[in-house]
Amino acid sequence: MTITAERVDEVVAALRHVLRADQVLTSKADRYNRARVPAPFPVHRWADRLPDLAVLPESTEEVAEVVRIANQLRIPVVPRDGGTGLTDGAVPLHGGIVVDVKRMNKIHEIDLANRTCTVGTGINMLKLNEELARHGLIYPDDPASYPCALVGGRIGTSGWSLIGARYGHTRDLVLSFDHVLPTGEIIHVGDGIGRKITKSSSGYQLKHLFMGHQGTLGIATRATLKLFPKPEAELSPFWAFDNYDDAYACTGALARAGVATFAGAVLFDEHKVAYLRRDDEAYIPQPKDVRALVCAVMYGYEDEVRPAGRRLMRIARDHGARYLGDEISAGDWAARHDRYATPLHGRTKAGQVVPMSWHCEDASINYTNLPAVTREWHAVVAGLRRKSDVFDDWGMFAYTNGSTGADYLTEIDVGIWEQQLDDRAWELWVRAKRDLAGVSLSHGGSISACHGSCREGEVDLVPDELGRGFQVMLDVKRTLDPNNIMNPGKYLLDRAYEPPEART
Amino acid sequence: MTQTHVAGSSGEDALDRPFTPGTLTELELGAFRESPVSDPEVRATDPKTREFVHEWRNASYNCFSSGHKFCREVCPVMQVSRNESWTPTAFHANVVAMEQGELEIADVAADYVNCTQCGACELRCPNTLFTGDFYRFRTRTVDVVKAVRALAVESGIHQPQWQSWNARTDERTHEPVLGDVPVSQEHVRDWAEGLDLAIGGESILFVDCEAAFYRTSVPRAVAQVLQLAGYEFGLMGEQWCCGGPAAEMGYVDQARRFAEHNLADWRATGATRILVLDPHDYITFTEDYPKYFGAEFDLEVVLVVELFAELIRTGRLTPSVSIDRTITYHDPCRLNKRKGIWQEPREILRAIPGLVFNDVDHVTQWSYCSGGGGGLPVEKPEMTAAISANRLERAAALDIDTLVSACPWSERPLGEAGDGHDIDVVDLHELLAESLGLTVGGSRGDVGDRRLGGGGPA
Repeated sequence: MTITAERVDEVVAALRHVLRADQVLTSKADRYNRARVPAPFPVHRWADRLPDLAVLPESTEEVAEVVRIANQLRIPVVPRDGGTGLTDGAVPLHGGIVVDVKRMNKIHEIDLANRTCTVGTGINMLKLNEELARHGLIYPDDPASYPCALVGGRIGTSGWSLIGARYGHTRDLVLSFDHVLPTGEIIHVGDGIGRKITKSSSGYQLKHLFMGHQGTLGIATRATLKLFPKPEAELSPFWAFDNYDDAYACTGALARAGVATFAGAVLFDEHKVAYLRRDDEAYIPQPKDVRALVCAVMYGYEDEVRPAGRRLMRIARDHGARYLGDEISAGDWAARHDRYATPLHGRTKAGQVVPMSWHCEDASINYTNLPAVTREWHAVVAGLRRKSDVFDDWGMFAYTNGSTGADYLTEIDVGIWEQQLDDRAWELWVRAKRDLAGVSLSHGGSISACHGSCREGEVDLVPDELGRGFQVMLDVKRTLDPNNIMNPGKYLLDRAYEPPEART
Repeated sequence: MTQTHVAGSSGEDALDRPFTPGTLTELELGAFRESPVSDPEVRATDPKTREFVHEWRNASYNCFSSGHKFCREVCPVMQVSRNESWTPTAFHANVVAMEQGELEIADVAADYVNCTQCGACELRCPNTLFTGDFYRFRTRTVDVVKAVRALAVESGIHQPQWQSWNARTDERTHEPVLGDVPVSQEHVRDWAEGLDLAIGGESILFVDCEAAFYRTSVPRAVAQVLQLAGYEFGLMGEQWCCGGPAAEMGYVDQARRFAEHNLADWRATGATRILVLDPHDYITFTEDYPKYFGAEFDLEVVLVVELFAELIRTGRLTPSVSIDRTITYHDPCRLNKRKGIWQEPREILRAIPGLVFNDVDHVTQWSYCSGGGGGLPVEKPEMTAAISANRLERAAALDIDTLVSACPWSERPLGEAGDGHDIDVVDLHELLAESLGLTVGGSRGDVGDRRLGGGGPA
């Protein structure tokens, strides 16, 4: 749903009062390249997801001016940072202006004494860490998209970090930020009002409200981040098992051990190992009776990590693990973590190799419910495969969410041959997505640990997950965004503008 | 226990357990055999576009489906423009959109100007790193960009500066690197004045347009070092531009004509070996010419940097004049990223006495570029200048007084950016010649001559 050409001209004319010509993009290619993210994308319906134009602001004030104009003219605004999210936060559903913050990528301050830095939200974590490395520091927010995701997107999605069990996730690492509200007002949110305060009890804790809203409550423009010493040592042992149950038990024991340098554990299920064995070039061949894998990772000083590693080795051995050796361990961690290898082909049921996109569906699941969710999720994807060879099951991972092992980011990877998507296949996919979310909720989990939950299918169940809390979301949305201009159509928030009796 | 039992389902077929596709019998697959799959439909209607899409859609889809965008922050254009429309991801996604009939060549042609063809994105791509072995295939952004530019030209869509540049090149047989001062066949050997160089022979020294007419100190240095080593070589009978830049900008017929002329000239003078001092020519002769001529192109192509490193290694050259400079080395993209040549230049620099060498490793330099390649400075000189400025900022942080490059095309923009930091930009061959006690002569371009007084001793 896009606006008329005359209306675009009117918007552009208004924007040109605050932005230069090279900051306002209206060409077809500019719009096509800001319509999608790596989440499953119906290429045959690309045109339905186009913005009307994109802008490249360079300061908080410019963002505020753009939003103010959009609010006056009642034009939708869709914030776009790295465009690497997996729940379509940056995908325009009702056209409008994409506010692309990539030019706001300056490092404004590195405060060595307080161990913080202040950056434009358009900066990428890897680029930031290249600068911080000169000071022996690191900003340890570590998603799969680490080389390309931007700090602002991490705030807008409340991102999940692979090494979060050691350093915390985005919500813990971002101390405060400047934020443009849907009306164009600029506020600063953090713990209290402080820019570098890590703990405050003053007032409502607004920081969390303005993280993970998927662009529906405004745009973060400048953030102050918590820094750590760049770790001296990394240890990433990999262990093999001949069955899932032992691997699962071992993962739980490793996470519950309470080792201070423990940054995370990953459980590869049997479908995952079978998939890696058949189609992943980075897979280092293992004997056939290897059916499940576990890895753990520790970061810290050499003299912390070594004894901690010995402790985890002991725990793994007690659970029947076979250690894969130093070389494979370091190499496999490098392949999966540093380079993020994903094979970009899958197979039809008969074995034909076909190009496929990698799609990861996630949830937050308590440890005790992992086996049941794992089984039921595979059953959902098996259902898809029965109906179409456009889909392939690439197995599951479970990653620790925190240092105590309570819950896990549970991920099923589904190969999708996007070039072949049509309305029927897309509908199958959306239904499967809803079924996956239903399984998570039925086991007391959350629809997403990491991506967010505002895509077609899964979003239908968000009111079920949040209960009365969803009504609070609607109230907050209506209060802060009276004209529904911020990323309309997401999270069923359009309901906030319906008459009260219709809001169910 | 293995993972075969599915809660809430009867476990009715083989799809309920991990299996390797292709290993199941029809019986095991039950009612769920292969659903028909075929190549996706190409919805583009223009015949030229359809042909292009057929050739490039799978390569493009491999990028589109990854969605990783790891290439983005190493891309020199992206670093200065921060415009997602000008990223390797967009350059591939556009092809997918063309396949779908959503975009046409006219919608995208101008965007493809914004690429220096440095190849950083290809190296950083997870597809190149891991699926290469499986598919015998790597991400080929440079080729995609060249193909789109060629499709644009073939479709009559021209970028104004490129069109004029290539028309003037065609007219003069050399690129108009001196702007309003015309270049011509009569002057292509002017750089060699006083060096007494032969024409023809087995080994031919090929001198690119920028070096022959603008940074003449580079070919003078190379020629004199070769003479000092006693390496026999001659110049071409009638040298034309290599044709590589035309190919990079999409003027493929012209590129091919120039290649045919040069090959015929080499044949006529009995050449069997081409000595190349410019990384851009090295790409043209080792990639484009073999593509044009196949097995018929049987000449040996020798990169002078590699030859000099070898001559130093074997003791035929011994740099002995101390050079009092604190330097860092700029890895030319076409050597480091496109050809994997980064050791030999460092070998040469380490053999020069007196230098303090603050090196930056070649992988870090994947994200460095001068902005001087792929026709970018012809169409968008301001972006080339921004990319060079970015490169010089990194050099300046190393407390150096000299940035050494090994690519004449990089030295003009880098030199201009270096001036503001009070950093000299010197060519590797020039530096080596000086350390061998040679007086190079010639011109180091406007900035170089002002700062260094031409190609005399630095």
